[in-house]
Amino acid sequence: MNRANSFLINELAADLEPVRAFRARDGLLLTGAAVVISLLLVALIHGFSHGTMEGTASPFFYLANGLLTIFGFACAASVVRMASPSVGNRYSGAYWMLAMLGVLPVVALSGIGTGDHAHDILTDPYGLECALHGSAVALVTAVAFTGWLRRGAPVDANRAGLLIGLASGALGSAAYGLSCPLDTLSHVAIWHVLPVAIGGVVGRLALPRLLRW
Amino acid sequence: MRADECTLAGLMIKAQGGDRRAYTVLLSECSTWLTRYYANRIAPSQVDDLVQDVLMALHRKRASYDPARPFLPWLAAIARYRWVDALRKHYRARMDELHEDSAVEESEEDAVMARVSLERLFVKLSPKQAEAIELVKIEGRSVREAAQETGQSESAVKVNIHRGLKKLSALVEKAE
Repeated sequence: MNRANSFLINELAADLEPVRAFRARDGLLLTGAAVVISLLLVALIHGFSHGTMEGTASPFFYLANGLLTIFGFACAASVVRMASPSVGNRYSGAYWMLAMLGVLPVVALSGIGTGDHAHDILTDPYGLECALHGSAVALVTAVAFTGWLRRGAPVDANRAGLLIGLASGALGSAAYGLSCPLDTLSHVAIWHVLPVAIGGVVGRLALPRLLRW
Repeated sequence: MRADECTLAGLMIKAQGGDRRAYTVLLSECSTWLTRYYANRIAPSQVDDLVQDVLMALHRKRASYDPARPFLPWLAAIARYRWVDALRKHYRARMDELHEDSAVEESEEDAVMARVSLERLFVKLSPKQAEAIELVKIEGRSVREAAQETGQSESAVKVNIHRGLKKLSALVEKAE
């Protein structure tokens, strides 16, 4: 080993302080905490809908929010793992689940089972409001995950930004969804899935610069 | 002597706990490992700088090693990341040519080494991208020289380098 390397190694060793190692469990706890805070915010600001409280919402409501939640946790698990890089890590599962989630808007826009026309769905007077509120709630998770990965060592900032956006959008929208009284397939499948797309685009474009190291 | 995966992981766990002696041994072993790792994949004059860069990255990000997982794939991911970064930054018109008989001793790569090697990344590039990066970024030829040698236009060489590096940066954790 050359002298410069030896010198550097001695310097780094002299600077050594104990650190708390990253563990997947800590990341999952962070995810849980972000979801709980999101739910509290939704409960305080909007309140949960009657359908949610009494369990009388339509099956589409539970189906869509269930899918959003599972998709959000799948992306969150990838984000958590990205903090500790390793050759051999795979993240393709989240993309397959994204395709699965995409079935909802495709079915809604086709009008199968509902008879709704795409034009009526897209001009839903409450739709944009729901999408924006869901996106706003997503900020809680996005901030938590960005902080997590800034302390970690993600080696693909673009993918990390995208997955943070998708996870936050899905979990934020699922949390906000509990306050929404509209439970038709055409509303939920479009306007409650839209925050996932918004989160993905914003995360992919805005976050990489914060995550490079 | 080469430290094995188990020894390195043990040293890293002690280092995370603040054991300076274990850390010194670990960094020395990593320095040797990285020098071998980068052989023929970056200009010899840049190897030391890159090794030091990775050692500093390891120091800064040492908390990101999860003790429940293997050490070498973690180190290799960081080494690949810094390598792609170095290829991006060091856009030199000309640098020392690679020597065929590198001073670094070849040894038999074990299964882990083969899985995490830099060669694994290169085979994912198109032949033209790999050739352009090899000539310009690693051997230090100018874009014009690379264009003449490969029969590509200068613009094509630039585009292939740009796309190839972008692809490499997305493949850092790829193992197969």
